[in-house]
Amino acid sequence: MMRLAKALDGRRVIRLKGGLQVRLHNVAGGCVLLLAVLALTLLSLSVGFTQTGLGDLLAGMLGGKLEGDEAFALWIVRMPRILLGFMAGWLVAITGGMLQSLARNPLADPGLFGLSQGSMVMIMLVLVFLPSVPLAYLPLAAMAGGLGVALVLIWLVGGEQSSGLAILLMGIALETVLSAITSILVLYTPDETSYALSSWLAGSLFQANWSGILALLPWFLLSFPAVLVLGRALKVFDLGNEMAMALGEPLKMSRPALLFVAVLLSSASVTAVGPLSFLGVMAPHLATFLSPASGRAKLILSGLMGGALVVAADVVSRGLASDLSLPIGLSLTLVGVPLFIVSLRLRALRLALGD
Amino acid sequence: MTGKALALCVILLGSLGAFIANLSSGATSIPLDAVFAAFFAFDAENYDHYVILYQRLPRALMAIHAGALMACGGVVLQGLTRNPLASPSTLGINSGAAFFVVAGAYVFDLGTEAQGLAAMAGAAFGFICVLSVARLAGGDKDPRGLSLILSGALVSMLLIGLANAFLLSDPARRSDFLGWVTGNINHVYFDRLVFFWPLGVLALAGLFFLARPLTLLTLGEEKAASVGVSVRRVPRLALLCVVIGSGSAVAICGPVGFVGLVVPHVVRPLVGVNMRFALPAAALFGACACLLADILARQAFAPYVLHTGILLDLIGGTVFAVIVKRFYLSPGGQTA
Repeated sequence: MMRLAKALDGRRVIRLKGGLQVRLHNVAGGCVLLLAVLALTLLSLSVGFTQTGLGDLLAGMLGGKLEGDEAFALWIVRMPRILLGFMAGWLVAITGGMLQSLARNPLADPGLFGLSQGSMVMIMLVLVFLPSVPLAYLPLAAMAGGLGVALVLIWLVGGEQSSGLAILLMGIALETVLSAITSILVLYTPDETSYALSSWLAGSLFQANWSGILALLPWFLLSFPAVLVLGRALKVFDLGNEMAMALGEPLKMSRPALLFVAVLLSSASVTAVGPLSFLGVMAPHLATFLSPASGRAKLILSGLMGGALVVAADVVSRGLASDLSLPIGLSLTLVGVPLFIVSLRLRALRLALGD
Repeated sequence: MTGKALALCVILLGSLGAFIANLSSGATSIPLDAVFAAFFAFDAENYDHYVILYQRLPRALMAIHAGALMACGGVVLQGLTRNPLASPSTLGINSGAAFFVVAGAYVFDLGTEAQGLAAMAGAAFGFICVLSVARLAGGDKDPRGLSLILSGALVSMLLIGLANAFLLSDPARRSDFLGWVTGNINHVYFDRLVFFWPLGVLALAGLFFLARPLTLLTLGEEKAASVGVSVRRVPRLALLCVVIGSGSAVAICGPVGFVGLVVPHVVRPLVGVNMRFALPAAALFGACACLLADILARQAFAPYVLHTGILLDLIGGTVFAVIVKRFYLSPGGQTA
């Protein structure tokens, strides 16, 4: 059924019956991350103004009666934030991992490439000019926006040879234009929606609730088959176009498919919590640092790391800075920029060694 | 030579026209003769005269100050770094100044004058941060200076993020700074202009004074050194002037973005790279651009009044994309 073996490169793998093999190291990494997510969840449940925690939650589930305040804190405030944060972080991190293989650029990120901003602009346009459209269609608008930006970016960047940094600069230029457009649109919305929008624009979990979770859940579930089906293609993309074709990968099919799925997942998370910039770069890099992987394993590890990072950022912003109400997108940026600079440095070192 | 002088004259006339148009247009359009009458025969009873002298003139002067200083900063930075994307807004100068002003006001309760000094210090801090991050990221080996601009963008994001964190910590005072931090030209900041304009003029004068050695420096360090330019002192003095100038502009109306990036690219084909022409032309054109952007911001979405900074971001981001496309992504891309 399942046995321990050695792969061709001498590393230990777990080989499943169907011929699927997973590196032991990656399994261990995944377990560590899962444990971290669980620990963070427990911590997150007990951090906050009301004194309560897991004990109360379990007691409540087992039929005990919860006090009003505690039930409110656990079920209405903390649980939704944790779940929504984890799902959004998972989606953004997976998108980042996909884009990085797709663009063969270790610095690719849905936020930095302007995809999240594109989704936001479309959502804002719908909210401002077509207020009668039901909220359920917003993810579609977000997708159209993200896809539009992705196509514009591909059109602007053109050839395959362009350097990764130039693509990144182009993404930042697009992001500037789009965020100026969102600022203009914020002016057009009435005051009460404008305030809610501006916290969403900064990326936040303040408005997390169960209906938001239900809206995001299908996309979250969709990401699993996407990872399993498309993850294999990522492994060969990393080797370059010629090599991928030589290995029998139908590039004409799988590249657009991958881009489409990446935009889909990123738009879903933007609709739910707003843009989480830098997470798409940060999570895959940290995951690789924990356990080097490629293909499906890389995506799954990145996703877990992304979820853990968002839950952790939420704990920090609620626990340490409770009077400061820092939107989670902002705290991710504050942590993300230094890490991004470190990875630029590592890239430069690698290039120097390569020369 | 005459062509350049002609171009300068045209730009001068254009900015004068923009100045007058800026004064006469607004929520109520004031006829030109009333605009002139407000200056030469001020009538305290006349509401139009009052609006022009106390609301529109301060605004226009602020636009001129910010535009001229940012544009000259852009010309000098693009010349010194030989990078078509260099400007006070892309190299962290603006965001550094904005962060220091917000942090100073929140943490140390600085008054208006001290905020100006904080802006200068912040401008220098942001610029130094960008330079060191670029070096860390391997900028030395990158001939086209991409990593310099990338580190500029990253440091700006970080500093603006920190400024936003301060803003969020105190909702009551947030509204004081919210408009300012997106770059807003508004007559409510006139008292700041009164404090800081001498610094801006000083910086401009310093740059004009350095025009000849700066031109020689853009031809190459060896050539400049061979005609007796101090290749160490001149760039430092010039950068100091840029930092002081941009700092004073940011202290007045917030990080007004991208004028410094766009204007040099417009001015260079018209008057060439000689700083003696490029600097005055850039100053005038920058002022003109800010005045026009201010008109547009007030009129385009009436009755809503946009922040001029948002509009400039919109225009500047587009130009940024065009420049990246032209210099970095076209086959055999040009060099600045």
